[in-house]
Amino acid sequence: MKKERARGKMMWGFIYVGAFIAAFSISAVAKMKIDPFGGKYEVRWDSTVGTNYTDLSYGDGTANKFDLYVPADSGKENYGLVVYLHPGGFTGGDKSGDAEMLQWLCGKGYVAASINYTLFGEENPNANVYTQSVEIRESIPFVIAEAEKLGYHIDKMAVSGGSAGHALAMLYAYRDAARSPVPVKMVFGAVGPSCFYLEDWINMGADPNKPNSVDFNEDYSGMAKLFSVMSGKQITSDMFETGAYLEQVKDISAAMWIDENSVPTVCAYGAWDKVQAFGASKRLDHALTKYNIPHEYIVCQHSGHGLQNDNAKYGEYMDKISEYLNTYMPVE
Amino acid sequence: MTQIQRRMLILAVVILIAAVLGRLAVRAVMNLLLGGTLFGGNFL
Repeated sequence: MKKERARGKMMWGFIYVGAFIAAFSISAVAKMKIDPFGGKYEVRWDSTVGTNYTDLSYGDGTANKFDLYVPADSGKENYGLVVYLHPGGFTGGDKSGDAEMLQWLCGKGYVAASINYTLFGEENPNANVYTQSVEIRESIPFVIAEAEKLGYHIDKMAVSGGSAGHALAMLYAYRDAARSPVPVKMVFGAVGPSCFYLEDWINMGADPNKPNSVDFNEDYSGMAKLFSVMSGKQITSDMFETGAYLEQVKDISAAMWIDENSVPTVCAYGAWDKVQAFGASKRLDHALTKYNIPHEYIVCQHSGHGLQNDNAKYGEYMDKISEYLNTYMPVE
Repeated sequence: MTQIQRRMLILAVVILIAAVLGRLAVRAVMNLLLGGTLFGGNFL
């Protein structure tokens, strides 16, 4: 009798442990896999929505390729182009990684383009944010020409991206828009570094409500190296003290190019971002506010670089993109 | 409450706690990599 009771207890012990492991695993996988928006920001991609042309060339470099998504309805007189640039810390990623976003944009009636750029790494040690931004600038006439060749006349454009791609999108919108073959109407993106002030970039991921203070007794040579690699210019620690580094990073600091002619903007940032400086996004918001540029600055108060803990805010970001596209890039 | 009812209740509690911890574990790992708070915002 005692043996039977002990065996029963042991069996239930195993059941509890098994149930714990199963429930833990299912719950973890569900959190990673289930779309909290139930497909609201996706389209079922097929020929009734559009056609995808891949690996079109815009230059001699191996990375100088783009994908084009053209809507099924080719009968309109004019089309808006929406460029979406991929994330990857300027060192990784690929244009194919954002297919869902591009399909969603194409489903709205836009010609959508995803453009690769030469990534910094052992193979391309001279690539940097500036050279990447120049590549993007030089790619746009090719993208528009290819769309024209396919029978889609482009009369306006928006530029967008995620993280590194967002940074490049902002550089095109705020620094290079005047050189665009068609008018740039708006820019949108998430978690892209908009400028490179030392005080924003130290202690990334720390409590956003506590100000960062620069102590010049500290060694900031690591930060000088990072800014040098990103800008492609020589930046030394002593430049931080004089502020001379700001001129060196201007070419890669989109927020420093904002003026009264800048385009409407939708952007989203995570307040606890460990990958890029949240403080830099406040400067972006400040500059857009200063010049009365229509903009939405959405802060995910509990999230980091993935905007992963604030679904409601992420949904608001996506809805604002739609709203701004309808306003500034109306589909005929 | 019979013994089987008690065990089923414990089983339900174990499953509930495991489900909460599973989601929290993913969130904690993501926060470690990307930044973020353990609580607030989304449900877990």
